Amino acid sequence: MKALKIGLIVFMLVLCGSWVLAQEKITITVQDYFDPAGGMAKFIDEMAVEFEKSHPTVKVNHVYIPFAQLLPTILQQSLTKTVPELTMADNPWVPQLIKAGTYKDITEKVEEWGWENWEDFFRGHREVTSSEGRIYAFQITTNNLALFYRKGLLEKAGISQPPATWQELKEQCKKIKEALGIYGFAFCATASEEGTWQFEPFLWSNGGSLLELDQPEAIEALQFLTDLVKNDYTPRDVVTVSGQGDVTQWFINAEVAMMVNGNWEFGWHLTEDVMQELGDVEVATLPVPQEGMKPVVPFGGECFGISSNIDPAKYDLAWEFLKALASPESMLQANIKHGGLPTRASVAEKILAERPILKPFLEQAQYALPRPLVGGIDKYPDVSSTVWVAVQKALTEMLTPEEALKEAAKAIRELFSPEEYEMYRKMARELLNEAMGK
Amino acid sequence: MRLSPWKSYLFLVPALVYVGVFGVYPLAYNFLLSLKDVTLITYIGGTSQWTGFANYVETLQDPVFQRTLTNTLIFTGLSLLFQFIIGFLLALLFNRSFPLKGLLQSLIMVPWVLPIIVSGSFFRWFFSDRGMVNGFLLSWGLIEKPIPWITSQQWPIFSVTMANIWLGIPFNFVLLYTGLRGIPLELFESADIDGANWWQRVFFITIPLLRPVIITTLTLGCIFTVKVFDLVWIITQGGPGDVSHLLSTLSYSLAFNKFHFGRASAVLVIMLVLITGLTMLLNSIRAEEEGSLG
Repeated sequence: MKALKIGLIVFMLVLCGSWVLAQEKITITVQDYFDPAGGMAKFIDEMAVEFEKSHPTVKVNHVYIPFAQLLPTILQQSLTKTVPELTMADNPWVPQLIKAGTYKDITEKVEEWGWENWEDFFRGHREVTSSEGRIYAFQITTNNLALFYRKGLLEKAGISQPPATWQELKEQCKKIKEALGIYGFAFCATASEEGTWQFEPFLWSNGGSLLELDQPEAIEALQFLTDLVKNDYTPRDVVTVSGQGDVTQWFINAEVAMMVNGNWEFGWHLTEDVMQELGDVEVATLPVPQEGMKPVVPFGGECFGISSNIDPAKYDLAWEFLKALASPESMLQANIKHGGLPTRASVAEKILAERPILKPFLEQAQYALPRPLVGGIDKYPDVSSTVWVAVQKALTEMLTPEEALKEAAKAIRELFSPEEYEMYRKMARELLNEAMGK
Repeated sequence: MRLSPWKSYLFLVPALVYVGVFGVYPLAYNFLLSLKDVTLITYIGGTSQWTGFANYVETLQDPVFQRTLTNTLIFTGLSLLFQFIIGFLLALLFNRSFPLKGLLQSLIMVPWVLPIIVSGSFFRWFFSDRGMVNGFLLSWGLIEKPIPWITSQQWPIFSVTMANIWLGIPFNFVLLYTGLRGIPLELFESADIDGANWWQRVFFITIPLLRPVIITTLTLGCIFTVKVFDLVWIITQGGPGDVSHLLSTLSYSLAFNKFHFGRASAVLVIMLVLITGLTMLLNSIRAEEEGSLG
């Protein structure tokens, strides 16, 4: 009898033990810099709840790291092999993080999922998240730059249509200055990636390349912007704004009639109530150098990938979460809330029905270019900082656009070995020509 | 009960551990990084190559660095000079009683209490082409075109220096004012009886007796000023172009804009040498001072 009792007790203990063990949940951590109060973060939180419901043993931990700290944090985590299961990064960093081995190769999983899913992504987004034919991440949201204008202000200056070419832009600025005494046009030329990013649409639409800055196409583009500042059509303060959001403030205050900015502004400063109050905000594709040309813009946006140091036991779960995030349904919902653009062709069509004002952005998104691929891949951050310095020197008339860009071109060439440089230059040229439809 | 000598050394352990972990280790690590070719890829991959002093050579030859070093010296020199003079004059003023003294005294402290992000953003607007300074000058007809305080080649470093002087006045004021209150009033009274005027009292009583405080103020001010980062970062981000970088902002920009961690570390080491050098210089003045007194 005694033995039986003991056996029973042991049995119960084992039962309890395994019950407790079963309660020990597997944690999947998702790390990103989306503002916790913003639409995208809220969407991921909702997804996490759903995921936990369908996977009772899993706990999804959503961690917010401010933008400026994300890269230093990833560096620390990489050194200590503690990169969270799912890690988001801004797309210009992704080629470097792939090369550094931060992300896991997920090609097999994608193959299982079906190639049609991968091919649904726009080409630029596929390029930036893959390397040498292997896939490492998915870009789930994107954005680009277009021309915002205040219809009411343009009409007061006797202008019925937003400018389609550089020449028209200049003429309209003149009219606005004479009629209303305000600046016609503003862009952001701050000393950060934002400065380079806002210069790129002018450079690329004119057929210029970041790796051929001493060529006439590039000089012309910078000359155009410099002239706008010189003529007082654009405030010289564009070089000291803290970011693109500052420019939107000028736009909201009717200090400028037109500006270059991104679709995220609809989720940030130009929210629905502001739009209603202003009542006359419209968007057009960016003006091009000559009639009949296409605006070639860079794209922004964020990519999610799985950490290369992931515990193999968690890999399948992390992949499931990532797959759900990159699915057409999630992508649509997330971007509606975020004010972003989808990166899959099938979803891009659907979002227009919900947010018609995104049309110019979506039109441009089809031939938008990934910055690192046309800017020296993993040297892009270095190239970019050289470019914004040159742009600032020209806009403040320290150097002429030609001098500033020659100096930058030389510095950029020295970043690469001659063979590397030639290879990247050619690649950029091909991608640019393709985007321009040459 | 007396502790045996080796046991009493145990009390040093927490301090030594603290200094080791938070002081020596980061410094040593930073120095090691400055001797390697560290980029984002080699840092994560752990494949950084030793390059000896190449980062230092490259840094010292870089014209941007040379300009930055000059900027840092201008910034530190002018900041220390004007913060001190204004702080000292205010301390002298507040050392006597007058109406509303308490209120004015708290107003002087405002720059110190404001977060730098607030004062920095304010100064960016204050100095901008369409900002307050130009607004006043234009409306008074003193200038015809806005002065590019922070959008030109020559002005920005002086503009950020002015902002920093404003920020540093309370610190100088507080230390010097406290020092002044420590001087016995009898000295001034007897000087009065001897017929000394205000200037004589300042130069022959106040300044000599205040010397230790003055040197401490300057030493601390020097350390604080050479390492200023946030103020300049908020107002100009080292721009336009690269004309208003300080060593601190240049290092940050090398690390997190260009991902040249090795060179960024080299700049930090140079900055450390500069701070140490300036502090030692000031300390040696104090030592001389004490020697001559003794």
